[in-house]
Amino acid sequence: MSDMKSRLNLRDRGAEYWERSPKWRRVALAIFFIAICYALPFLNNPLINTPGSDFQSVLFYPVGMYVLMAIGLNIVVGKSGLLDLGYVAFFAIGAYTMAILGTKTSLNFWEIMPIGVGLAMLSGVLLGTPTLRLRGDYLAIVTLGFGEIVRIFAVNTDSIGGARGIAGIPTPPDIFKAKFTILDPKPYYWVLLTFTLLIIWMVRRMAARRPGRAWDAIRQDDDVAQLMGINTRKYKVWAFVLGAAVAGVGGVIYASQILSIVPDQFNLNISILILACVVFGGIGNVWGVILGAVLLAFTPERIRFLSQPRILVFGVALVVMMNLRPDGILPKKKREHFDPNWETVEESGEGQIK
Amino acid sequence: MDFALLRDAFWGLSFDGLALGAIYALISLGYTLVYGVLRLINFAHSEVFMIGTFAALVAASGIMGVKVEDDPRTGVSMILTLIVCLAVAMLASAITAVLVEIVAYRRLRQRGATKLATLISAIGVSISLVEFFRIITDSLPREFPRIMEKTFLFSYAGADIRNDKVIVIVAAGLMMFALERFITKSRLGKGIRAVSMDESTSTLMGVNINRVITVTFFAGGLMAGAAAFFYILVYENTSFKVGFFLGISAFTAAVLGGIGNLKGALFGGFALGLMETWSSAVFGTAWKAVISFIILVLVLLIKPTGLFGESIQQARV
Amino acid sequence: MSENVLELTNLTMKFGGVTALNEVNLVVKKGEILALIGPNGAGKTTVFNVITGVYKPTSGEVLFQGASIVGKKRFKITELGIARTFQNIRLFGESTALENVVTGADVHSKTGVVGSIFGTPRSRREEKASLDRALELLDFMGIKKRAGQLGKNLPYGDQRRLEIARALATNPKLLLLDEPAAGFNPAEKVALGDTIKRIRDAGYTVLLIEHDMSLIMGVSDRVVVLDFGTKIADGTTKEVQNDPRVIEAYLGAPADAS
Repeated sequence: MSDMKSRLNLRDRGAEYWERSPKWRRVALAIFFIAICYALPFLNNPLINTPGSDFQSVLFYPVGMYVLMAIGLNIVVGKSGLLDLGYVAFFAIGAYTMAILGTKTSLNFWEIMPIGVGLAMLSGVLLGTPTLRLRGDYLAIVTLGFGEIVRIFAVNTDSIGGARGIAGIPTPPDIFKAKFTILDPKPYYWVLLTFTLLIIWMVRRMAARRPGRAWDAIRQDDDVAQLMGINTRKYKVWAFVLGAAVAGVGGVIYASQILSIVPDQFNLNISILILACVVFGGIGNVWGVILGAVLLAFTPERIRFLSQPRILVFGVALVVMMNLRPDGILPKKKREHFDPNWETVEESGEGQIK
Repeated sequence: MDFALLRDAFWGLSFDGLALGAIYALISLGYTLVYGVLRLINFAHSEVFMIGTFAALVAASGIMGVKVEDDPRTGVSMILTLIVCLAVAMLASAITAVLVEIVAYRRLRQRGATKLATLISAIGVSISLVEFFRIITDSLPREFPRIMEKTFLFSYAGADIRNDKVIVIVAAGLMMFALERFITKSRLGKGIRAVSMDESTSTLMGVNINRVITVTFFAGGLMAGAAAFFYILVYENTSFKVGFFLGISAFTAAVLGGIGNLKGALFGGFALGLMETWSSAVFGTAWKAVISFIILVLVLLIKPTGLFGESIQQARV
Repeated sequence: MSENVLELTNLTMKFGGVTALNEVNLVVKKGEILALIGPNGAGKTTVFNVITGVYKPTSGEVLFQGASIVGKKRFKITELGIARTFQNIRLFGESTALENVVTGADVHSKTGVVGSIFGTPRSRREEKASLDRALELLDFMGIKKRAGQLGKNLPYGDQRRLEIARALATNPKLLLLDEPAAGFNPAEKVALGDTIKRIRDAGYTVLLIEHDMSLIMGVSDRVVVLDFGTKIADGTTKEVQNDPRVIEAYLGAPADAS
């Protein structure tokens, strides 16, 4: 299949290198890569500095936060093929949980986290169960509606702050010597990074096993997936709920850093931005999604001097990107999966099956 | 919740609802036509509408020299101004719609790209247009001059029937009738219906797909442009973000009536206009969008075919 | 109790004004290869669609191993033991051949999302079992060397074989094959015939839609003939071959239609 060889892309090269590496090399690479991520806040290079805003703060939000959310949305849109345009709603639910419980109860960040995630997941179930059987475009509109409804609800409900939102959200308690204050985004970044790495680990495990296969099947051909015995309803709701959980995590962390939230922060633009990260990076591919998120979150900050037409540039970039590279920067593997064990496979054709 | 208001002002509200519904119906025609031929929700259609409103604005002040503080015109001058603004709005929207198709959709369609990629491209166009207008209007809404004196023609059961709204309802009805004739009688119209039913066979029968699609977008744009003019005639202002909620409502109307179905779009538009106006009276205007969405979700869950449409959710194996 | 794996009783399927199936009665006995034939448009694939739950019959009964499966969800029907291939190949093209088959094998795993995340011993066991079974099936169908290739990149014949492997992976008691030999050359058809027989010998029951008469005659135990949604013949291959109504339905001799 020569046409595939000629389209060898970055992701495949990287994947091939990884697969050919012995275990020790893989571990070393992983540790190295992770260490770099933790060390990022200390980087001070004019090439990547963000004029107009603090680099470390940008690293936390929007870069780190978008990466996390893009990974979450990727499960829904990228792997399962469910068009979700209202992802920000789950982010908002996480943030509002932190805000409300943080200001009205004595629970701290770590205690509120599971509640926020739980509420986001619950909303995922409530929204997903009736709507996930809708066709793609309709699901997009309905989820968009849900995102807007959550925002409008927050704006119009004074008991949760109304249009003015909620202020005075407490910071997380100190961890050893690290203090969480508005002045220093580093501890927040590290907490976010840790959650992100944990979630990446979980997602990759699922993707390599039955859920991942089920989602792939659903994305490619829902009808046939059912006929192959996959309970598509269950797996679609699961994808939705897991995506919601990830956004919930992000929301809780976000609220505890920014210390005051207003409903208009959680608008459609964010849903679209995260979706763009997923699509830009290459649907379904975790690394591509991360790359897409980094690019889309970082670039506007880097080019802040273009502050006025920033969003316009973004919109145009979306159109250009989709027309030139609809599969994203690092599309899902196009080449064959390489496994050294299969090189010596013999074809018998006369095998017995049980 | 104020049911008393609904009860007391019922006919007045209903009349207003019909006027709003006429606007929705015209916009939803665009959604339903494009969905019929491309099986695609044209996200940028709301901006096609928005541009129509600004075109009407430019026509009024630029071409006809009307200023906001002027007195309303009368007689021939008034009719001429109205017609020019309407025509300019319709043309501007139609051209925008066609450009959107060429820029955002055509290439992806010809490459067989995924629904998601097309959706993102459409959203990109939508964002770009909104942002562009936000920048040139400096985020401020724009007022439309009163070209026509708004008089109450008569009263019926407590409802004051205003002339501009009557014009909107009647004119919209005429346009929809004209479109329907076009779709059923003309050659291009038949092409549109053929492609809606079966694209590959249509191609084999010699239908020029690109031309059909361009005409579809053009026709939808014309209707949206008319809606834009009527909107600005009644509400007398516009802004860069006027398209969003109207677009969602109009889309809801299309789905309500049965997407892909012209009659459905008409019916859905009027029905939604009524429902929204009534519920605004009861729940207040802040929740209007929520009501629309809830209606949309209910329709999709209970009867996804809409009131007149056919099912597009059948499995095909 | 019943020796019949599948029983269709007075099965009728109407779409609006069109009657696709009209009071069809047929029985599939355990361990047999039953061929379902008929001119194009006779309703054969519709029968498959009704059995697998894609369509709900207008009236009539579908009994699988004695129990009614009408109205059951599609994935449940597959869980109960009915699997199929498709007239127009419906592989998961973006997935590898192995992934396609393993997806089928997943049906009988109990591991869910939670188990996959935490890597429970059961999940690892089931994963290995599915993988082994998949490789075994790929080998059985003669496409083991394609394991790592994407479904859409496989040559046509291997795609058809892959679909069969995928269906077998669900461990069905009844295998529905919809024109598995379409597009095959005569040599490939003979090989396919042998494969179908080996599938039956391994304990599966096969219901087969095909147009190629020599393939059918060589492989089937019994034949059911449909025409315009009605059963017009039912019997051994010899009986059906000589049935005047069948000959008439095909407008002439039952020649090799491919």
